[in-house]
Formats: sequence, structure tokens, C-alpha cells
Amino acid sequence: MSSPEAAGNGPLIQRGYVLGLLLRLFVNFAGGVGILFVILYFALSRPLPGDYAGVFLALRNLSPFLRPILAVSVLVYALLACGSTSALCVYVLHKVAGPLYRMEMVLDQYRSGAPTRTVSFRSDDQIHALAQAFNQWIGTLRRDRQRWLATMGDAERHCLQDAATCRAEMEEALRRVAGDLARYH
Amino acid sequence: MRNPSPQAPRPRTRYATPRFQGPAVLAFAVIIAIWGAIFWKLVDGEFQRVFLHAAIRGHYTFNSAYDIVRNLLVFHLAGLFVGVFLTGSLLVLFLVAATKHGIGKAVESMRASADGNLSTPTGTCPIGEFERFGEKIDAARSDTLVSILKIRSEAAALAAGGISPEEFRLRWDELKQRIRGIAP
Repeated sequence: MSSPEAAGNGPLIQRGYVLGLLLRLFVNFAGGVGILFVILYFALSRPLPGDYAGVFLALRNLSPFLRPILAVSVLVYALLACGSTSALCVYVLHKVAGPLYRMEMVLDQYRSGAPTRTVSFRSDDQIHALAQAFNQWIGTLRRDRQRWLATMGDAERHCLQDAATCRAEMEEALRRVAGDLARYH
Repeated sequence: MRNPSPQAPRPRTRYATPRFQGPAVLAFAVIIAIWGAIFWKLVDGEFQRVFLHAAIRGHYTFNSAYDIVRNLLVFHLAGLFVGVFLTGSLLVLFLVAATKHGIGKAVESMRASADGNLSTPTGTCPIGEFERFGEKIDAARSDTLVSILKIRSEAAALAAGGISPEEFRLRWDELKQRIRGIAP
């Protein structure tokens, strides 16, 4: 079997899509770190008292407050970064998840015996090769089905002649159809 | 295959599919949380030490606490950014590789089906949704193979002869109906 990408259908996932995702993550994480910097800057940039004792005490008393300040800052950063990354994941990954979900629906529909339409994804979706392969498979099945029905239809036309010829032609048609079906395993 | 339903629902566009996007979102959240915890632990320890050292040293040439830890803070923030971004990038590359492998196997399987091979398992990677997707493809192929084998055995039985003309005609029509049910 040839690999999906070697069969001339283009890459499953385009390089531009991956680079775009990485670039968005870069901006997203940089923004998160920027927000963390701003929070810590405002927390730490309060002017210290002018005299020696005041500065000494301010620095000594800063330690007990440092831990909660850092904890809250990091928590805010984590919540913001997680929120924006989640939104980014949903927005970007639906170009893969959407077609997969769609294919699942089509496969369920096919199994239920309902008429199956040709599958096509949105133009900016990824994994187009999947839709092409499915359409190729269903197309082959339909062409085979038409050929088997045509073979049987040809045999039925001989029923305008005598019954023995009709039966012989039908049995011959059935043998051809059974032989044709043997390619499926 | 089961009987066709008269009106098949048209698939609609879904942007959020928790089964597919959920694990990725969760993995990114874990990365951010772990690096955030590392940052907090390192910065807390170093800031405590630096502030104490600055208080004891006595030469106060700074206006705010920020002036004391500016370089240290920038260094650790840069470390946090690099750590989160690199780990996130590795996760993206892993997701892309897993998707390529899983979907690649599914595509190969469908192409093999078009060539008549409906029995070789798809063999997608055992990562949650891809495995499930591969099983769905295999189920569809298996249903098709079962239908085809039934048609084939019925065609062979009818071709073998020894059936009364009335029964032959009846089974002939049934066989045609069954063939029409393939890939409707």
C-alpha cells in the first residue's frame, strides 16, 4: 500500500497549518508572560521609604507577602493562559476535529444503509485525503454494483427467448457475478 | 447492512468536539500549570534570598523592590516562556504526528477497501479517538464484506442449479434487491 501522502493527494496536514498553530501559540504564551510581568511589576514597583530603617524594614517585611503575591500572580497567569490556549485549541483544531467528526457521521450513516452522499470538507479543513479515499471506496462499490446489476439485466433479456436459454443465461450471469465478487476478501 | 432510513440527517458543522479537542486542551493546561508551579517555586525561593541579602547589605541604591529583582524576574519570565512554548510546541508536533499516523492508516485502509481488501484491520494508533475512528471504519468495511459474502454465496448457490423455476425467479429478484443495497 502506498502512503497517503505519496499518492498525489497532498499532505494530510499542511505545513502552513502547523506553523500557523505554532505562531499563535507563541503569541499566546508571550502575551501570558507579558501579563504576568505587568502584575509582578505593579506588585513590586511601590517606592521604598526614604530612610535607612524604613527601607530595611520594608525589605524584611516584604518576604511574608511575597509568597501570596507570587501565588496569585501565577494563578492569574495560569488561568488566562489556559483560557486563551483552550480557545485557540478549539479554534485551530476544529480543522482536524471537524472533518473527523463529519466522517464518523458519514460512516454511521453508511452503516445504517441510508444513501451516502459524496463527502467534501470545508476548503480550509485538513485531512482532505480521508474524504477522497472514502469517496474512492464508495465509488468503486457503486461501479461494481452497477456492473453486477447490468450483468443480471443482460441475462434477463434472454427470457424473451425460451425458458431453457433464459435459465442458462441467468446461471451464467450469476457465475460471472460470483466470480467478480470473489475479489472482495 | 440495515434498512435505509427515508431521510438521512445532514451532518452539520461542529467547531467544538470535546472528544477530539478536549485532551489537547487538557494537555496544554497541564503544561501551563506545571511550568507555572516551577516558576513560582524558583522565583519565590530566589526573591526571598535576594531581598534578605539586599536588606542586610545596607547600601540602598534602589527606589523599589522591583529594581532589586528586575534582571532576575526577566530571566525567570523568559525561562517560563521558553519552557511553556517549547513543551507546547513538542505537544503540537506530537499531535500532528499522531494525527498523520492515525488518519494515514485510515486513508490506507479505505484505499485498500477500494481494491477489495475489506478484512485487514485499519490499525490506527491506540490513542483514544483514532482507535475509535479506526474501529468505525473497520465496522463499516466488515458490514460491507458480510453483505458481499452473502450475495456471493447466494449467487453461487443459484448458479449451481437444481432449483425450481419459481423459487429461482424469487431468489433472483431477492438477490438483485440485495445488490442494490450495497453503497446506496
